[in-house]
Amino acid sequence: MKLTRRTVLGSALALPSLRAAHAAAGVLRIGVGASLARLDPLLTTIGDEYIYNNLLFNGLTRMAEDLSVQPDLAESWAYSDDLRRWTFRLHRGVKFHDGREMTADDVVALFERLLDPANAAPSRSNYDMVGRVSAADPYTVVFELTSPYGGFADILSDRQVKIVPRGSAAQLASHPIGTGPFRFVSYTPGDRLVMARNPDYFEPGMPKLAGVELRIIPEMSVKIAALQAGDIDVLWDLPLEQVKPLSGRSGLRIDSVPTASWDAAVMNNLTPPFNDPKVRLAFQMAVDKADVVELTLFGQGVPTISPIPPTHPFYARDLAIPPADPAAARRLLAEAGHPNGLSVPIIVPVGRPVRERLGVTLQQLAKPGGFDLQVQRVPFSSYDAEVSGKAPLYIDGYFARPTIDTSTYPFLHSNGSWNAKLWHYSDARVDAALTSARLSGDASVQKMQYIAMQTALNANPAGFFAYAVNFACAYRTSVGGVRTHPMRWFDLRSATVA
Amino acid sequence: MGGYVVRRLLSVALVVFATSLLIFAIVHILPGNVAYAILGEYATPSAVATLQQRLGLDDPLWLQYWRWLHGVLRGDLGPSLVMDRPAGPLILEALGRSAILASIAFAIVAGGGIALGVHAATHQGRISDRVMTLAQFVFIAVPDFFWAILGVMAFAAGLDWLPATGYAPWGDGALAWASHLVLPVTVLSIGLLAHVSRLSRAAMLEALRSRYVLMARAKGMSERRVLWRHAAPNAMLPTITILAIDFGLLIGGVVVVETVFAYPGLGRLLVFAIEHRDLPLLQAGMLVLTTIYALANLAADIGYAVLNPRIRYGAAA
Repeated sequence: MKLTRRTVLGSALALPSLRAAHAAAGVLRIGVGASLARLDPLLTTIGDEYIYNNLLFNGLTRMAEDLSVQPDLAESWAYSDDLRRWTFRLHRGVKFHDGREMTADDVVALFERLLDPANAAPSRSNYDMVGRVSAADPYTVVFELTSPYGGFADILSDRQVKIVPRGSAAQLASHPIGTGPFRFVSYTPGDRLVMARNPDYFEPGMPKLAGVELRIIPEMSVKIAALQAGDIDVLWDLPLEQVKPLSGRSGLRIDSVPTASWDAAVMNNLTPPFNDPKVRLAFQMAVDKADVVELTLFGQGVPTISPIPPTHPFYARDLAIPPADPAAARRLLAEAGHPNGLSVPIIVPVGRPVRERLGVTLQQLAKPGGFDLQVQRVPFSSYDAEVSGKAPLYIDGYFARPTIDTSTYPFLHSNGSWNAKLWHYSDARVDAALTSARLSGDASVQKMQYIAMQTALNANPAGFFAYAVNFACAYRTSVGGVRTHPMRWFDLRSATVA
Repeated sequence: MGGYVVRRLLSVALVVFATSLLIFAIVHILPGNVAYAILGEYATPSAVATLQQRLGLDDPLWLQYWRWLHGVLRGDLGPSLVMDRPAGPLILEALGRSAILASIAFAIVAGGGIALGVHAATHQGRISDRVMTLAQFVFIAVPDFFWAILGVMAFAAGLDWLPATGYAPWGDGALAWASHLVLPVTVLSIGLLAHVSRLSRAAMLEALRSRYVLMARAKGMSERRVLWRHAAPNAMLPTITILAIDFGLLIGGVVVVETVFAYPGLGRLLVFAIEHRDLPLLQAGMLVLTTIYALANLAADIGYAVLNPRIRYGAAA
């Protein structure tokens, strides 16, 4: 055979692929963005870590994809009439990955560790109401609360309160042990976290996968290429601008679901000009929230009034979000003493691209309403020190919390912990509604109070709640039995990969 | 020669010490705070205060530095605050993987660059020289990460020849190990290869035009001998300097390439440390990198002295 350029090139193209076999059978590989910093679930703070929390561990309760709360390690629970005493009955015979049985003492030890301020557990403030935790017998845990709390079973489904063997805290960083459907195999920071099927998992017939790997790939274009090449099976947290372009690709399934995560233009209610409610209301009138969703989220979200997302039953459906009315906004600004409009800087977080886009969008959309905004870019890592609770106007946002109470009370009640780091908002009607909702275990009462809260907030805005944002993942079509979870983690007990 | 090496070693130690001070100063004026970074969006003032105290961040800077230096001198690189484990083993493991990348790339850059440069110089104006010149300009001008993403799209997503990302340990088989290295090594070396071959071509041309080469040719020496005995060693001197500088660029390139290809090396670890404000880990990693770079320069200086007697005797004067 004569060696021509064509034959050389041709045989090169026909070269057997250099890549090794794609994956061991039944192992699901999920592409995530950041290295996990903490392997002790109690200390985790980022979404990439919460995925791991939900694979290796169980909580007392579990939140399903439709946000309903279901039994997990607790098979049932009951509360006293005053909502202060909660009793959880544990599943019997649940084994940790090291073979020891999980009992009430392990649950008590976890909450003692959580509540001890010396451990600086990030989520401690969510459990401020817990007074005493005790084991009535090896399979019964009793929580005594210092104030009535209707959503207590719900917050036990949250990200960090996962049950670990008592006395194991020191080894969790290097060799974590849980009760979850998968057990820990190895972790290489910057590369991957490997987990294998837990053969002794307490729910029969689960999990179906042989293992799960979290592959850490920071660069999005590379992650998408890896998904198409079959190096990973699931791409976690697909940027919203990629949802439409990738939707048509063969072999891929794109799933974009509404969540309770929100972004807002935070206004400082203590200092001019936003200490004047008229100015805050004028801003709300000046901007069309539907346009904001289209421009900032590429349509992957919904306008909202408060942290309660429009998909939730407690959302105030009767409260219309009107289109922009720049003329009315200017009139209101004039009434507030700004006849020539207002010129204010708006700070946007560098490193949070969606929120950066929100800032630029608002700059454009608020202009006809008399707001001349100058965009200032500040690194997100400097926000806590320089911006939060201080700057007159800035963009920030928060991920979904497990209950409506934890999503609203800390942010909007005048005594709320996050309120003090955001807008310093204070409205008697909002305070009253939030407090009453918390003191009731009855969903219909809660709904009425939350709608009252949204109505009051809409009339006297704390700032500009822009939208509830969607969360998207991309799957290869070989993946089955997984639904995209609005809390941004995965339930992989029934997942399969072909 | 021995005295020269000792003097250079001392100056390396001094440079490393000075940079350790500099690194410490720089990482401490970075905005942000590791306690906030560890607690994330849950950082309440009381939690931050507790954590700061526990991590020793309340102590005066000089005390923190002294504690750190004291540890380093005893071989303890300190902890990774965020990951809650010693930094030494983390760095060592990552360094090993980066060293695989960097050493293969450097071998290609040094060996290939010189060979291509000599070839181009001896074939000046011919078609291979022209094609190479064009390619060199393209590879020098277009940054690494562009080739990286292009490579992943073409060879992983498109042709499906190579894995897109990651690293396979030797235990997974030689083929898996090598296939994970092809793209990162290529991207890492291609720009520097163009750079080194371009410069060694120029150095070689210069040498070939010199009087001693004319003399050698005039006395009837074979062209091969002229090339490798007389021209090449002299042309190597500037090339070695360039290689030492390019070694620094290579370390910078490693950070980019490891990030793009999700390769778990020292570069990724440093990016992680910066993102999480893990200052002890960052300090330790930077110290290791600085030391390596200083030693690479030392090696270049010694190589220079070996090739050029004027240096080693001149330094004594």
